[in-house]
Amino acid sequence: MRGDGRDRRQNAVSPIRQATATRRTSGAWTADRSRTARVGCAESGSQALKTEQDEAMGLQRIILEQRPRLLRFLAARGAGDEAEDLLQDLWQRVSAATTQPVADPVSYLFRAAENLMRDRRRSMMSRERREHDWHDSSDRGEDHPQGERVLIARERLREAEGVLLGLGPRVDHVFRRCRLEGASQPAIARELGISLSSVEKDLQKAYRALADLKAKFDAE
Amino acid sequence: MSSNEEMDEAARLWAIRMQDPSFDDWDGFTAWLESHPAHLARYEHVLAADDWAQDLFRTPPSAFEPAPAPHAGGPPRRRWAWPAMGGLLAASLALLATWTMLGHDGGAQEFVTGPGEHRTIALADGSQVVLNGGTRISLDPRAPRAVALAQGEALFTVRHDEARPFVVTANGATLLDAGTMFNVVSQNGAMRVAVAEGAVIYQPGPGQVRLDPGDALSVSARGARPVVSRVSRAAVGSWQQRQLLYDDATLDDVALDLARNIGQPVRVAGDAGRMRFTGALMLGDTPRQTLDRAGPLLGVRFEARGDVWTMTPTHAMSQ
Repeated sequence: MRGDGRDRRQNAVSPIRQATATRRTSGAWTADRSRTARVGCAESGSQALKTEQDEAMGLQRIILEQRPRLLRFLAARGAGDEAEDLLQDLWQRVSAATTQPVADPVSYLFRAAENLMRDRRRSMMSRERREHDWHDSSDRGEDHPQGERVLIARERLREAEGVLLGLGPRVDHVFRRCRLEGASQPAIARELGISLSSVEKDLQKAYRALADLKAKFDAE
Repeated sequence: MSSNEEMDEAARLWAIRMQDPSFDDWDGFTAWLESHPAHLARYEHVLAADDWAQDLFRTPPSAFEPAPAPHAGGPPRRRWAWPAMGGLLAASLALLATWTMLGHDGGAQEFVTGPGEHRTIALADGSQVVLNGGTRISLDPRAPRAVALAQGEALFTVRHDEARPFVVTANGATLLDAGTMFNVVSQNGAMRVAVAEGAVIYQPGPGQVRLDPGDALSVSARGARPVVSRVSRAAVGSWQQRQLLYDDATLDDVALDLARNIGQPVRVAGDAGRMRFTGALMLGDTPRQTLDRAGPLLGVRFEARGDVWTMTPTHAMSQ
């Protein structure tokens, strides 16, 4: 039972070997991607020790070292042909950040790249929404005044809370501790005396139910 | 090969694992993204749903907010601004209640009206509670269909939901809404409920009592035998329109209502309590105005001693 989450993860990872990538890519890294990936993995441990001091410089150096890996990630993560530009953005972000020592600089850079893609996506979505709202300004927003929107949100919140509770008190607790109170997954696992993969499974259940609920609301 | 649902499950697992600060399987994640052209879209979809859920759970925890006071114009007010607005609104008929929040993170919240104040609370499900003066109720945003009336009088207009019954507790009595509009008084250990529309179940369970429109039920003390009587449906909650309607009511009951509505105690002297009254009393702007109007209709005389009013039959005075 508890192993399910991990099993699924393995399944998710296994396609790396099948290398059935059909994504459109910039081409620069495609030739040696498997080699780079393997080298990157092997190196990340020792690099963590070397870059404790002079952090920003160190991070930029690691961007250079990890450039193929990061480009490949950015391209797969939705940057496509713009992966090079986004790596440039990442470079600037890293040099602007007054960094404290980073335990795992490689992972730190990947996370920064992930956040970069999330921010980019969000600003794209909100720009689209603004344009959409502008075109539809005659019949949008007006029929749902602020107060009513709050009431709708509360109604939906109650429904969401009901859905979570319906998944059982543990799922509800895990979701709240993790996503609303910001507790880390290992900490929650320790608190409840369950495995990390059980925590992941509970979160997965909560996510699935909330996504279903969102789909339901979107259809209304 | 993989269905959308399987892809979504995998995407969720990646999003979840990535939340952990120690996540470092970025190559595995990259490979997963590359392994199917739809994976990126499913992953973005999962992130969007998570964003949405985060926003939803940031909705202010209160399940209710005060309805706008009938005389207040001006821009819409935020819930947080209410205590500060009290002075401005106090001039209106419906005085702003002082309200206190007990517990900031979704614990029970208590709403209190001072003497003579009225207060309307709109619940998130569209139900509404109007508090009469000297009333205290508590609500728990986590259980928005349950209200405890600790003291005073409240008129409930409930949006009926078969699946989620609306429950009022008062003086140890449980009232289950099976309809829409009812008035509850909880005072000095006594409880009285009157139904205007729909139905209310008193003490659900074996021996429960169903009250239909025009039915009233009173319990003189906690655990005492309930007494069912008939009232005029129009009389139920009529205090909200600044009038009290009676159909053959004892002046004992009228005195209690008057006291609650003027915010000052009304003592019953002589045999006034046993007298009966049918008709309408209009509530005035001041206690004296209210009682001066009521006296002749009730056949009594009101006298003030300090803040306490005494109600004496007119015939007794002439003796």
